[in-house]
Amino acid sequence: MNKKTLLAVLSILLVGSFLLSACQNAATPAPTEEDMVEETEPPVVDETEMASEEAPAESDAAKDLDVYRIAMLADMTSSNVWNLFGPGASTYNYVVQALYWPTLYGLSDQRFDLIPFLASDFSSPFEEEGEFFVTTIGLKEGFTWSDGSEVTADDLAFTAQVVKDFQLGGNWDYWLAGVDHIEAVDSKTAKIYYTSKPGLADHEYGVLQNSIVQKAFWEPKLADAYLVIEAAADMDPESDDYIAAVTEAQTVLYGIPADGEPIAGPFMYDQWEVGAFVENAQNNDYFFKGTMVELFDDGTYHEYKEGEWEFTAYGESSGDVILSFENGPFAKAIVYSIYNQDAAVLALLNGEVDYIYNPNGYGPGLRAQLDGNSEVQVVENARNGWRFMAYNFRNAPLDDIAARQAIACMINKDFLTQSVLQGAAIPVNTPVPVGQPFWYNPDVPILCDGMSEQERMEWSINLLKEAGYTWDTEPTWNEDRGGSVDWGVGLKMPNGEYVPELTLLAPSAGYDPLRATAGVMIEQWAQSIGFPVNAQLTNFNNILNETLGGGGNWDMAISGWSLTQFPDHMCDFFLVEYGADFAFGAYENDELSQLCSEFKSTTDLEYAKEVGYQMQDILATELPYVYLFANPVQDAFNLANVEYPYLTVLGGLENLYGMQINVYSAE
Amino acid sequence: MKKYILRRFVQILITLVIFQTILFIILDAQPGDITNLYLLNPKVTPEVREQMRVALGLDKPAIIRYFQWLGNFVQGNLGVSFTHYPRPVMDIILERAPRTLSLFLTNQMISFALGYFLGKQMAWHRDTFFEYSLTIVGVVLYTIFTPWFGLMMIYLFGVQLNLLPIGKFLDPSLWRGVEVHANTIFYYMILSVAVAAFIYVGLVILTRKTNRTARQIVRTGGLLGLIALIVFIWSQTAYGYLAGDIVKHMILPVLVSTLVSFAGTMLLMRNTMLETLREDFVMAARAKGLSEHVVRDKHAARNAFLPVFTNLIISIPFALSGGIITETIFSWPGMGLTLLQAVNLEDIPLAMGTLSFVGVLALTAHLVADVAYAFLDPRIRYQ
Repeated sequence: MNKKTLLAVLSILLVGSFLLSACQNAATPAPTEEDMVEETEPPVVDETEMASEEAPAESDAAKDLDVYRIAMLADMTSSNVWNLFGPGASTYNYVVQALYWPTLYGLSDQRFDLIPFLASDFSSPFEEEGEFFVTTIGLKEGFTWSDGSEVTADDLAFTAQVVKDFQLGGNWDYWLAGVDHIEAVDSKTAKIYYTSKPGLADHEYGVLQNSIVQKAFWEPKLADAYLVIEAAADMDPESDDYIAAVTEAQTVLYGIPADGEPIAGPFMYDQWEVGAFVENAQNNDYFFKGTMVELFDDGTYHEYKEGEWEFTAYGESSGDVILSFENGPFAKAIVYSIYNQDAAVLALLNGEVDYIYNPNGYGPGLRAQLDGNSEVQVVENARNGWRFMAYNFRNAPLDDIAARQAIACMINKDFLTQSVLQGAAIPVNTPVPVGQPFWYNPDVPILCDGMSEQERMEWSINLLKEAGYTWDTEPTWNEDRGGSVDWGVGLKMPNGEYVPELTLLAPSAGYDPLRATAGVMIEQWAQSIGFPVNAQLTNFNNILNETLGGGGNWDMAISGWSLTQFPDHMCDFFLVEYGADFAFGAYENDELSQLCSEFKSTTDLEYAKEVGYQMQDILATELPYVYLFANPVQDAFNLANVEYPYLTVLGGLENLYGMQINVYSAE
Repeated sequence: MKKYILRRFVQILITLVIFQTILFIILDAQPGDITNLYLLNPKVTPEVREQMRVALGLDKPAIIRYFQWLGNFVQGNLGVSFTHYPRPVMDIILERAPRTLSLFLTNQMISFALGYFLGKQMAWHRDTFFEYSLTIVGVVLYTIFTPWFGLMMIYLFGVQLNLLPIGKFLDPSLWRGVEVHANTIFYYMILSVAVAAFIYVGLVILTRKTNRTARQIVRTGGLLGLIALIVFIWSQTAYGYLAGDIVKHMILPVLVSTLVSFAGTMLLMRNTMLETLREDFVMAARAKGLSEHVVRDKHAARNAFLPVFTNLIISIPFALSGGIITETIFSWPGMGLTLLQAVNLEDIPLAMGTLSFVGVLALTAHLVADVAYAFLDPRIRYQ
């Protein structure tokens, strides 16, 4: 091809391309955001009609939200229900999917009372039937799956059987809580057979709140997984081959696609663009949609659907109504977009999202940005959890209550949280947070509460002296320079030996500046009365390995727990017989052990509360943990777009995954 | 030549095994394992954790796991991700790689072209205001703290000017209800660009012997024409607006990563060009009376091109994993972000799979660079 021809061909190609581009059909523009909003806007309603008897329906329509946009910091990783409540458990999986499946019971809004969901009423008292302890539960009529079929006792029995057959753990309780089997007496009545009488933790706060799946959908899908289980039927359950077969079966189970699975919650799966967003669509047949909920100040929980049904518990509705709202969902869809934290904040400020699901909290910089925007509100709520310092009872002198109390007394939590941490945390003194009013013991002893630094030092020294401790140089109060402790040197234990160097593990400042700062302060306070504490700020995984992982190279460790509504953590975190690895401090106490036995086995809520009060007394005195502080939950949302029926709740909106059911339009 | 390639291939295989061994040792030496994540969940009992360790093969000695890993790797099986259990690692890599490829190949091409052109001009205009100012700009951009720079750009273009999206690779409001997945769009976008690049390279080869003016017209016109053609073809499909949305989301991350990375190429090109300009053959070319642009573009720049080209080839595979900062700032779920999350969560198979993938690409790139040398520099002959 000669040059001229080549030039001509390419020039024609170029001009042609531009012409084609210029002449493209403009009749099929890409849908814009405005277009989509317009299409989904509710129809215009005549104002004269609004004043008529249709008012309640219009009020519902006014609350409707086209889409509730949640920013979250990581993608979901699995949509297989068996995996989701097992090894695939993650907070981001739960934000999107935890509400898909029905449970027999759940916890009420704001006060977290145990209330029936799928169940028609509370479960019957336990009766002994042969070798089993049995309870009977009726199911609500009209509670349907998204495919229109009824949720039945067969579904419940099937779910429990699968969990048992595949030995599923994690957040599945049917097997671990000792359920032998569940019998579907009829489609709306189930009998649960336990091998031993379960306590509140296993029954009310365990099995009864486990998810239920649809038998008709899952049964045919499990055939391959069951083949592996059946092949292992003759093996010794203790053998490695058997364990390998079970784990293989579990792997098959976790890998089964769940596309099109019917659900019975307020929202159902619609779309997942991996790494970008997930969308849930409203389940129009959700059983509780339109239900009115009322909480009374006498403790009564009351819910009803006008002319259809009514349920009352925990009182006689005799007091004043302290919270009243209509159950949703009002959002037609929920879009969960994935951002990093900084981008999520900018997206909220820009009005691109309505709420940020952010378990990491906001640093001062981000908080200032959020507070500076009039359309954004940040609400703070108490966290159901705390940061603590654990003592290692294996190592002297920390097995001595005098040493533990002396160090604990020196820790001035008010000074730490208000002056050092600049109000970023709230002091905590008890095993059960104040925000759990049912379980919290208001009379729990608080060591050295309200004392000055001098009084703390004197109290600690007297305590140690009484216990037989001596110093080469005793700590003294020095009035110079505004008053401070002249540090003690050469602290000796009652047996005459010097107190060895004590290693205090705390997370590094990069992981958690609050706990890192607390670690440094505690080191100083303990050293001031003669304890040779050495604070090591380290990777959080190292702390886990040394404490829960059994590494053992620690004397004191600062960490944190999120807590469950049922406070059996008072047993699990301290006593090996209940918590195994979680009781990493090796604390032992026969009285607490006895109380835990009663607490775990009782089915009487009031008696459990009484026992729980005593346990809190013991733990606040014996101090296997020194409770330090809790950082409040901060929830940021867009005032211009969304509203919630209430904002004050333990754990905040975050604990309710952004209150997806009850959020409504601010317009 | 064949012998050389074969010998290099064997060397690369040995290097790969050594690379895999070091990788395994380093990642396995991390304290704890994935089950540590469940230490904080009281409902995951020690028995269940042990069951998980058995299921994931973590109960076996390291040496057995190493050989299992190596054997599986040879068969193309990179194992199962712990954090996306039981999803295969290869599946995740294939899902994330196109997104990173789109972003960083675009960045590499733009920053290379920009760096090459400006570096050449800087060397040619030595000791002028142009060179000084570009050197300062280049050094500043090359040493800038990328996360801060990225956030400032987001704040400026995304929040204050509201011109560009502030993160992610798509706008959910456009993609809601769409049947096709973003990865399909990514695949077709990469295909479009690859076809266009192929045509353009053909065009360049065809116009090598033409005169300068005609060549410039055809090449520039051809490039614009190809771009217009791609835009036209996409606009005629039902999903053109989705591709447009992705491109819109790419602008800011590409801009930031280009501004940060082009300076390296520019300064390297300037230095090698300055060296070349001192060579006798350049003086000879001038003495022959050749025009300035011929001396600059044909004699000096082409000879200075070799190290810059090597730098480009070697850097392309690392772009796959090296975009950790950019991908994190812009919430771009590609290979870099995947690697970061895998390491943070001790998802060893996913971390190893990602790094192995990059390792294989890097070694392949070395081989390609070696072979390409022979074509680019006639003085090099392999034996």
